Amino acid sequence: MTTEEPRWLRWTLIGVALAFLLLSLALPLAAVFAGAFAKGLAAYRSAIAERDAVAAMRLTLTVAAIAVPLNLVFGLAASWAITKFDFPGKSLLISLIDLPLSVSPVVSGLIYVLLFGLQGWAGPWLRDHDLKIVFAVPGIVLATVFVTFPFVARELIPLMLEQGRSDEEAARSLGASGWQTFRRVTLPNIRWGLLYGVLLCNARAMGEFGAVSVVSGHIRGLTNTLPLHIEILYNEYNYVAAFAVASLLAGLALVTLVAKSVLEWRFGDELAGAGH
Amino acid sequence: MTVAVKGLTKRFRDQLALDRVDLDVRPGEFLALLGPSGSGKTTLLRILGGLDFPDAGTVSFGGEDVAGRPARERRVGFVFQNYALFRHMRVADNIAFGLTVRPRRDRPSPAAIRARVDELLALVQLPGLGRRFPAQLSGGQRQRVALARALAVDPTVLLLDEPFGALDAKVRNDLRRWLRGVHETMGLTSIFVTHDQDEALDLADRVAVMSAGRIEQVDTPDAVYNRPATAFVADFIGNATRFDCRLSGGGVEIAGVRLANAAPTAADGRGVAFVRPHEFHLAAAGEPGLAATVRRVAHTAALASVECALADGRVIDVAAPLDVAATTGAQVTLVPTTVRAYPA
Repeated sequence: MTTEEPRWLRWTLIGVALAFLLLSLALPLAAVFAGAFAKGLAAYRSAIAERDAVAAMRLTLTVAAIAVPLNLVFGLAASWAITKFDFPGKSLLISLIDLPLSVSPVVSGLIYVLLFGLQGWAGPWLRDHDLKIVFAVPGIVLATVFVTFPFVARELIPLMLEQGRSDEEAARSLGASGWQTFRRVTLPNIRWGLLYGVLLCNARAMGEFGAVSVVSGHIRGLTNTLPLHIEILYNEYNYVAAFAVASLLAGLALVTLVAKSVLEWRFGDELAGAGH
Repeated sequence: MTVAVKGLTKRFRDQLALDRVDLDVRPGEFLALLGPSGSGKTTLLRILGGLDFPDAGTVSFGGEDVAGRPARERRVGFVFQNYALFRHMRVADNIAFGLTVRPRRDRPSPAAIRARVDELLALVQLPGLGRRFPAQLSGGQRQRVALARALAVDPTVLLLDEPFGALDAKVRNDLRRWLRGVHETMGLTSIFVTHDQDEALDLADRVAVMSAGRIEQVDTPDAVYNRPATAFVADFIGNATRFDCRLSGGGVEIAGVRLANAAPTAADGRGVAFVRPHEFHLAAAGEPGLAATVRRVAHTAALASVECALADGRVIDVAAPLDVAATTGAQVTLVPTTVRAYPA
């Protein structure tokens, strides 16, 4: 593609964009890894093998493993309902799905403290029944589910709206049941968009700080996720360990990013309907 | 199979899409639902297919009430306007879909399904294209795959929504003939929706003309064209120009010319009259009739097309013999020779 713009302008724009990316993305990322390996490989290895770090890693993976499938199911159900049916309150539902994106994560976390904390609405009842939600794993899962809940639905709704209802109607008139229609027609049509939404959801679930910070209680080895553990290490001036654990989180993000790029490349193909 | 609807009413929010519609379709008939957009024709088709459900009224197939029965239990073949082919499946899998979703005990063997697909591919004149994906087919080919897919389940009723809407003129004409042939060979009862009057008149055994959720007239193409039952039908069919007129004693008075009314209306008083392009006679200026100015003459069809501007600013095309003596800018009089008029 060529345009009317002079060559120098093009190169200046590209240069500015690249410089910005380098400064704000590549350099910090490099700094994380440099900091992590500042005292050598052995220090790095012992930092990430430390008991609390492993516990934080395990908790982060556990929370993501619960929150992502929940939001996968919820996102699918919501997009299906919104795009394939007409019902009263539909636009309200769409706004509700967007709510977690517009509310500060700290507020999202506070909601759960207000609901389930000792001074909260359900607090006394929970205490009487010896149930712990806030400052425990269930609270962290709830906060994460809340914060990551728009990602799958946001990805699917425009895609399913664009594809319309006629494929499903065709399947039904050919005798397919609801489940057959979903499995053989709807799911293949949205599979790449769905996977893409799940990846975004997963990245946010692992990286969420604000909401989780409010409900977690920061109990080392018990309720600290990776981002919270990094903050604690950093506040204790334990820079090598902080950067080492941060490099783990960055590594997870990089894997997600690569998976997302691969999908985008595949996904464009699918949308154009080029087949195989 | 007989298809009958009675008192069918359907409301979308505050809009009445169907208003107490009655329609009987005879076994083996090819019926067109013709009307402008918003007239309710697609809603009627979708209700017949079990994709929408009426607020009131009955739908029966072969005398059996099917109003509450969902699409998958109706054994209708539905061809969608945009074909709705499954883009991730090969053509053969698309056609086989209706057979492969059957419960195991009713499902034909894989070999039988393959044979049926080949048979249908031959019927729709696409042999050997089973391995293609829909995106690799032309519009006309996709339309035929959609038809083959609908026919695979041996439907008794075939419903088609604007079957030729997305195709160019040449392909459309070929497909019309061919579809008519398939309808006859398979012994189906077929109903198709169209907004194109030529298509409806050319293809259907009978045409149901719809307007604002009601059926205005159900008749043979000949009757719909030559004996429109209502002012709407006369206006919608045949490219007519509308005039205000006076009705009296079975005659019509229009622009000082008195003619017999070709429409079966006995009422007297104010009326609306419709005159088609070939129902004018071009006379010299000053004669009784409608004063007009010739704007353009085209000799590009069996009849010459003379574009005339009326005194009130309306522009109408008059179809005249090729040897018509009209030149651009000439003052002429348009004398109606046939007129259909209805009470206003």
